[in-house]
Amino acid sequence: MIKIEHLTKRYGDTLAINDLDFEVRPGVITGFLGPNGSGKSTTMRIILGLDHPTKGRATVKGQDYASLRAPLHEVGALLDAKAVHPGRSARNHLRALAASNRISFARVDQVLEFTGIASVANKKVGNFSLGMSQRLGIAGALLGDPEVLLFDEPVNGLDPEGIRWIRDFFRTLANEGRTVFVSSHLMSEMALTADQIIVIGRGTLITQGSIDSLTANAKGSVFVRASDHQKLMTELKAHGGDVSDANDDALSVSELTSDQIGQIAFDADVVLFELTPQRASLEDVFMELTADSVEYGSSGARNEQ
Amino acid sequence: MSSDLSLGSVVRSEWIKFRTVRSTRTGVFVMFVLTIGLGALFAWATRSHWSSLSSGEQLTFDPVSTSLAGIIFSQFAVGVIGTLLITNEYATGLIRTTLGAVPKRMILVTAKIIVLVLSILVVTEIACFAAFFVGQSIFSGLVPTASLSNTTVVRAVVFAGIYLTLLCVLSFALGLIVRHSAATIGIFVTLVLILPLISLALPQSWRDHIVKFEPSELGNAMTSVVTPSGDMNAMNSLLMLVFYAVVALGVGTLLFQRRDA
Repeated sequence: MIKIEHLTKRYGDTLAINDLDFEVRPGVITGFLGPNGSGKSTTMRIILGLDHPTKGRATVKGQDYASLRAPLHEVGALLDAKAVHPGRSARNHLRALAASNRISFARVDQVLEFTGIASVANKKVGNFSLGMSQRLGIAGALLGDPEVLLFDEPVNGLDPEGIRWIRDFFRTLANEGRTVFVSSHLMSEMALTADQIIVIGRGTLITQGSIDSLTANAKGSVFVRASDHQKLMTELKAHGGDVSDANDDALSVSELTSDQIGQIAFDADVVLFELTPQRASLEDVFMELTADSVEYGSSGARNEQ
Repeated sequence: MSSDLSLGSVVRSEWIKFRTVRSTRTGVFVMFVLTIGLGALFAWATRSHWSSLSSGEQLTFDPVSTSLAGIIFSQFAVGVIGTLLITNEYATGLIRTTLGAVPKRMILVTAKIIVLVLSILVVTEIACFAAFFVGQSIFSGLVPTASLSNTTVVRAVVFAGIYLTLLCVLSFALGLIVRHSAATIGIFVTLVLILPLISLALPQSWRDHIVKFEPSELGNAMTSVVTPSGDMNAMNSLLMLVFYAVVALGVGTLLFQRRDA
């Protein structure tokens, strides 16, 4: 279990994290979502004791990371897949990591096998593709068979097959009762992977909860195709609907339910060809939530809101 | 618990890391070539010009330090090894992976120093004794030679290896402070090579007080059978160099503990 308490981190004049407070529970996959530069990596670095917090603390299983007696047995982390010496072979890289925490070399071969890079274990890491480096990083995280796992942007550079593999793998880890904490700036990826979501922007907590609860609260719209768009549009607006063109051939209606729209169309003698409630995607929710906190957003993206 | 992280386990880990990168192997190879090869070259040059030397020069000739003259060059090879042991971790980002496995930074630094000192001491002592024997065999028959039956000669050769090892530790400490390969090596070269050149421009009365404290001059005193005029004796020079290394390590370790990785 990971606990973040009133965590604040300042780099010079930049406030990277501002009074962040949350918990990551075991047995589920927790997504850590935020735009680039929102403080996800900084938070993870502080959890691992790499950076020192300005205020507050981050603990793993109730302890500061630095005071863990055998860190790799407690926590496995993949922060940066390219954080390896390019001249060293994958096997030697893992052996060095294993030796520090008294993990056997047999275990090194096991994780190489499991992550599918056993055939290139003796090759220099510098020649690895990003996907292979990710697998090596995951192999390193698994060495000590830890209960808590942290992954920073793990799907970056993976091919579709690799992404599928890693999703299933996270699911397996969570089902085994482990704590799985995965960061991403891709909400669509998190929608498929995570059970719980923690959203941050500019270093502050924006919201947290299950995917279902996040999308349920967001306003949806209804996709409508009908015989007379002009007439229907006028009627819907008269009933308080917010109508826009979804495309040349369809309308997008919000503020009204599909039941209400059907009744309005019936009363106006308009034939409905299609009436589909659209649930807000996690992506929409995310855009809405983080609109004010995008550090490097394009001006266009902001104006849309 | 046997699965706990300890100094011993981290030393083993750092030893694996140290010997599995090419820069270490190249650095050690270059150290051997420069120590023995250039030592042999200086010995051969002395022998071929022996008859043209003045009798005064012949009287003050030191067969030990001449055969070890290659360390003036090989000190840069060990300097690079010591520097890269830490700056490479920053250049590649490996330091974050390393600290993830070994968050106790004091243990990590100590393990790195142990691996560095033991391995470099072994190879530099082998190289220095080899250079000594090669040099004496080149001198023999014409130029006076030295023998290990004289304890002062043994001290000079042993101290040559210790000198190289301490410079290696010094460069590691500088790397810990600077965290950047090229900048660290630049500072190291300045301390060992440029500083003596600058001090040449100083008035003699100043030089008498300054030169004997320069790392390269400490090395000269440590590897000479007869203490060069103006220098501290070999033992005091060694202690001075140890003092430098310890101070630099102290500063480096303190910064390493406090800074974000």
